[in-house]
Amino acid sequence: MDKSSSPVLDPAAAGAGLLPTFAACLIALALGLGLVYRATDGGRAFTTESLRRSEVARRPVPIPDLQVLDAVGRTQSLRELLARENRAWIVDFVYTRCQSICTSLGTVYQQLQGEIIARGLAGRVGLLTISFDPVNDGPSALQEYALRMRMQPAAWQIVSLARVQDRSLLLDSFGIMVIAAPLGEFEHNAALHIVDRRSRLVGIVDISEPRAALELALAK
Amino acid sequence: MVWHMLVQMPLLVLGGWLAAAHWPARLAPASIERYNRFGLTGFIVSTLIAAYWMIPATIDRAVVLPGIDAVKIVTLWLCGAALRHAMQRAPALVQLFFFGYSLPMLVWLGLYYSNTDLRLCNAYSLESQFAAGQGLVVLGSAAGALWLRGLWQRHKHEPTIP
Repeated sequence: MDKSSSPVLDPAAAGAGLLPTFAACLIALALGLGLVYRATDGGRAFTTESLRRSEVARRPVPIPDLQVLDAVGRTQSLRELLARENRAWIVDFVYTRCQSICTSLGTVYQQLQGEIIARGLAGRVGLLTISFDPVNDGPSALQEYALRMRMQPAAWQIVSLARVQDRSLLLDSFGIMVIAAPLGEFEHNAALHIVDRRSRLVGIVDISEPRAALELALAK
Repeated sequence: MVWHMLVQMPLLVLGGWLAAAHWPARLAPASIERYNRFGLTGFIVSTLIAAYWMIPATIDRAVVLPGIDAVKIVTLWLCGAALRHAMQRAPALVQLFFFGYSLPMLVWLGLYYSNTDLRLCNAYSLESQFAAGQGLVVLGSAAGALWLRGLWQRHKHEPTIP
């Protein structure tokens, strides 16, 4: 083809020799669409958030064994805490200074607590809030948060990480990503994490569906 | 997100674009020509590569995993090169088909990013998502204007679209 002027579609020449191009196009399409299909869980999940939720539903994730600190200053293993009392848990992640998404989480948890107590379900499912900011959330901050949220320990407990070095292990296993925001705040994805009686993460439910989370937890 | 989507990614594509003009003949032998008649394959390849790296989940993965980031850099470079190779041999109608699809798509994506309340990438704040969205609208529109101007320059003396 003459490249000094613009290429023109010459009908006579166009048909000839297009087979290699068409073959290459088909291969490129198949490969490319296949990769997109794999990356988006079959075209169903375009965000990391939806991907992790469907991933966990398919394959439960064991909770790592790390140390947590509770509101009275006791240190214990997270896995032991979860496995004790043979009940399922709904876990969320906050930092107590948070003014944004954590307050919605708090409200949802208060609703859940009310429902658990009203229906006498405290023996079958518990609520656990974990602070990922151990630097600022020591026992007194946790106590203050517990009072503010009107937590009733039989239904709802709060702990903090005992060692800040464990933070990435904890957040990675649950799929939480924390970004620094202005004014010392954090921006992070939030959801209701369902942990079964064997300390495995078995489901992630959106904050807007606490009922579904509760039903899922009761079934585990 | 603004840096990632509006500076790093376009610059990589531009790098590939410019490099393709200066490749020595042995790297891009004329035999490739058979597989990219009228630029069809080049357009498909570059559109697929760009679309893949615009998916929020893959953006997150590239931020978190350096290996994926390296793959992204190489493939975006290839995207620009494929685009250049395609543009050199695509008649206006073929360009119209591909740019007429992908540029409005880019602008639509930018409008979506800048208007939705849903934070799409776990790695980037909602605020940076708004800014990136607005930037994408500008980028898509500017690219469209540049392309149309190029088309006009090439064909303004012809009575019909080739």
